[in-house]
Amino acid sequence: MYGKGASQLLKELSSSEPGQLKNFNTDIFEEVIKECITHHLALQSLMRKIQEEGLDIQTTRNADHFGAVIHHLSLMRNKRCLMAYVYHRAEIIQSLRWKVGPVLPEEIQEKLKYSEEEYFRNHSAALMEYISELDLDLTVDMVPPKDPYIQVRVLDDIGFALVGDQSLNLTLHSMHFLKRTDAEQYISQGLMEDLSGS
Amino acid sequence: MASGSEQGLDTATEDYDSLIATTDVELLKQAWRNEKAAPEILQFQASLIQRSREQIQLMEDTVEEFTENGTDPLTVSLYQMDLDRTQFLLRSYLRIRLQKIEKYMIHISRTNELWNRLSEQEQRFAKRCTDDMEKHLKQSVLSRLPYGYQSILKQSISSEEDDMVPEPQLDTFVFCKSKGSVGAFQLDDSGDEIVDLVGDDLYVLRYKSIKALVERGQIDLV
Repeated sequence: MYGKGASQLLKELSSSEPGQLKNFNTDIFEEVIKECITHHLALQSLMRKIQEEGLDIQTTRNADHFGAVIHHLSLMRNKRCLMAYVYHRAEIIQSLRWKVGPVLPEEIQEKLKYSEEEYFRNHSAALMEYISELDLDLTVDMVPPKDPYIQVRVLDDIGFALVGDQSLNLTLHSMHFLKRTDAEQYISQGLMEDLSGS
Repeated sequence: MASGSEQGLDTATEDYDSLIATTDVELLKQAWRNEKAAPEILQFQASLIQRSREQIQLMEDTVEEFTENGTDPLTVSLYQMDLDRTQFLLRSYLRIRLQKIEKYMIHISRTNELWNRLSEQEQRFAKRCTDDMEKHLKQSVLSRLPYGYQSILKQSISSEEDDMVPEPQLDTFVFCKSKGSVGAFQLDDSGDEIVDLVGDDLYVLRYKSIKALVERGQIDLV
């Protein structure tokens, strides 16, 4: 049936958790692309047939014309679905830049197609350019601040790091009382957890 | 910034503090609320942002000075909290705008009125975003479709209008509060629905119908 694969792609989008990515469904995607090309060929041959019969292509309303219309509409529908699929994924990828940071963890990267990875990098670079032009880091302070200091626990062996203006030994499971702005970058990378219970 | 933090400071700082408590922070808060609630991107508040950033800089210097000369840590942390809040507002304001640009980049860059609402940096960001998105869509879908169906704006070569561009839903409902009495206000073109907007009353209306009031600053979104 025409357009079935494309609707499957979209069903996959709507059934997945909001903001989460699944593996790029290359199989169905390629199938739909092929379907588009078949539609186009069928469309062209019907058009040729109308012309060969010596009929005016603009005004003829015979079976071949309506057949061509079906192919045309199916192709457009497939295009919309493919675009929606890729575009929606790109939107999630954009949101990952805010949530996860400039480097994607491997388990997410595996789910991306090459051009999506490239898009993420380009988009991230565009954002970084804006931030550096503005000279104000927009990736911190994601939640409204309650207290300037928070209690954190270190989740990974970070070792000595410069936090604020002092050097701290951030060993695994150690707890610190830090400035929220200093801790936030570690929290977003999953290296620390916020114990303030907010 | 909160007005409760000036106890025990000399008068110069008090003056400075009351100055900022009455004006720009409130304005920034309102600009942030409007931007957060409006479905489309609003005019960039260039001078307000400029002033807020200068004040944040001043506050940062003050906090640093206090830390150095050993002022009461409680005072310092109150100042710091104030500073953090304002910085959050500023960052969040800019962030919301960027996220709107990310969402409607193509629509914004094709509509002059919207494009002119962006700051210079935002325009550059939008330009880059659009280029990247176009490149990505072309690479993964459009270039592989048959001739005549490769446009990013149109479904096919036979579409007369650009019918593939995501646009914000302007007829969504928003909560709003009128600043002063606007009087009888016509909600739609047909003139069937007229609302008497009284100052400080809360309304839930379609964004589209009060768009002009928001732009003129007569009504605040909440």
